[in-house]
Amino acid sequence: MVDDLVIRRLLIANRGEIAVRIIRACNELGIESVAVYSDADARAPHVFAADRAVPLGPAPAIESYLSIPRVIDAARQARADAVHPGYGFLAENAAFAAACAAAGLIFVGPPADVIARMGSKIEARRLVAAAGVTVVPGETPADQSDSGVADALQRVGLPALVKASAGGGGKGMRLVGASSEARDAIQAARREASAAFGDGTLYVERLIERPHHVEVQVFGDHHGRVVHLFERECSVQRRHQKIIEESPSPVVSPQLRHRMTSAAVAAAVAAGYRNAGTVEFLVDLSTGGGDPARFYFLEMNTRLQVEHPVTEESTGLDLVRAQILVAAGEPLPWADEDIRQRGHVIEARLYAEDPANDFLPQAGALLLYREPQLPGVRIDSGVCQDGDVSIHYDPIMAKVIAAAETRALAIAKLSAALRAFPILGVRTNVPFLLRILADRRFQHGDIDTGFLDREGTDLAGSTEEMPDFVRHVAALADQPQSAIRNPQSAMKWDPWG
Amino acid sequence: MGSVGITRIADSEYLVEANGRRERVYVAGPAHDRWAFWNGHVYRDSVAVPPARVRRERHAGTQAITAPMPATVIKVLVNEGQAVKKGDTLVVLEAMKMELPIRATGDAVVAAVRCAQGDLVQADATLIELA
Repeated sequence: MVDDLVIRRLLIANRGEIAVRIIRACNELGIESVAVYSDADARAPHVFAADRAVPLGPAPAIESYLSIPRVIDAARQARADAVHPGYGFLAENAAFAAACAAAGLIFVGPPADVIARMGSKIEARRLVAAAGVTVVPGETPADQSDSGVADALQRVGLPALVKASAGGGGKGMRLVGASSEARDAIQAARREASAAFGDGTLYVERLIERPHHVEVQVFGDHHGRVVHLFERECSVQRRHQKIIEESPSPVVSPQLRHRMTSAAVAAAVAAGYRNAGTVEFLVDLSTGGGDPARFYFLEMNTRLQVEHPVTEESTGLDLVRAQILVAAGEPLPWADEDIRQRGHVIEARLYAEDPANDFLPQAGALLLYREPQLPGVRIDSGVCQDGDVSIHYDPIMAKVIAAAETRALAIAKLSAALRAFPILGVRTNVPFLLRILADRRFQHGDIDTGFLDREGTDLAGSTEEMPDFVRHVAALADQPQSAIRNPQSAMKWDPWG
Repeated sequence: MGSVGITRIADSEYLVEANGRRERVYVAGPAHDRWAFWNGHVYRDSVAVPPARVRRERHAGTQAITAPMPATVIKVLVNEGQAVKKGDTLVVLEAMKMELPIRATGDAVVAAVRCAQGDLVQADATLIELA
């Protein structure tokens, strides 16, 4: 507990599970939390979790969670002294960080100029390359017209990716395999980038074949210290959206870990980085893995990651608490010897989507939502029973994080947690997650970032018919217990009897 | 199923004994649209079958291409009278920040366009009629 912390009231400019997570850190630090919400979220869990809540506006994010003036007004109205942006929405928006500073609010994240520098993918690539870190070949075309971006694709060489310069999380990203696909891909990427980030600038990058996505958590304070908190393997992706993350990476050897974490720290130092950030790399195993494996800087995320709990459970350190302390000007709260990787941690993201129906996003009321209570299993969620999954926002509902001594045990623990996590009323990707966890190739750590899109169709499964014993229960579920045919009822403990 | 024993152990939660094994089953939803969960599997048993991605309604020779879920129409790519081929994208919807292309189910002619860019459409709403 830091008694004289300059942050006393923190506004969380986000929603869902990450808002709830940050509110929890506020409670532990004795800081008052202020939630914000759109009309669609008036009864959302993050609103009830906070000490106070301020309405932002209509459901569309552009008029609520993405509106800088409305969020700043809410912070003023609540007399907050700091703002945590979470991830997504305004988290990597330099104008927002600058607007916070201009309004006298502490922004829990890096300074606006660092966000702008690393948020511009071309600037970030130039900067880290100068610091001696290898980058993926690519460019940001000065001519942002369809033909200008198409020309850049030809220069970089196909297959290539069109990506949102302001992007992250796979939004506004398209693969172009042949010139004929370029126009549609460019237009779709631009539309998605504009909608998700308010910036349609695109860049192109050569496709590294079958890479592993390995990222390094870094953290800098305002006293010149930059540390890393080891890596996260995030190669289990569908359409560039991460699904399962873990630490340590099954493909990173001790020497490779040393090279990658050193490169990440060098990149963070070169950026003048402060607060929590992630340096993403593609690891190319095509020329052989192990110590000499090649890796390329992909981008730096200047915010807290969705998958930060993997690092928290692996190191036993609280990243959100540290973010708030560092933003308040305190030194990083860890000695070097405190930062260690322990055991194995795996996280699965629960999305409201139907794997059996082309992963169609699902929306609606949650008829049943009951989180399992299991030792070694952490669940970060932003939904609740009788609440809604809204069409307006990201379909992430919860993250389930399992920690154990070994990778095999962590996989088994995560599987057990998912099998004991009933969610009804909205279909989720849980059946898909369970099939991935049970897959031999996943268990061997062989999954590259393109695996699920290339070979994962059999893992999507199909809509299942109720087995007879389930149908039997379903048919009787409305009946009082006394009406449920039960030959052994006399011998059973029955609280409703 | 003569020897099935069912015990409700909590709200929506049941133990069922079938063929010598004990299984934990969760049930929710009204009788005409029942959801059940068992061991990571989700089942839905509804009288009104959940909307397919594309519902075909063959009356007067037209078929309705409907929205699979509540969404915003971000692009309408066809006009009335236009000939389309199977797989052509007719409308692009957006929900949860993801684009959902709605495609023609077969070679046809667009009989009517029932949505416009910017519309917020409900699940099952007719977007396009094909003839």
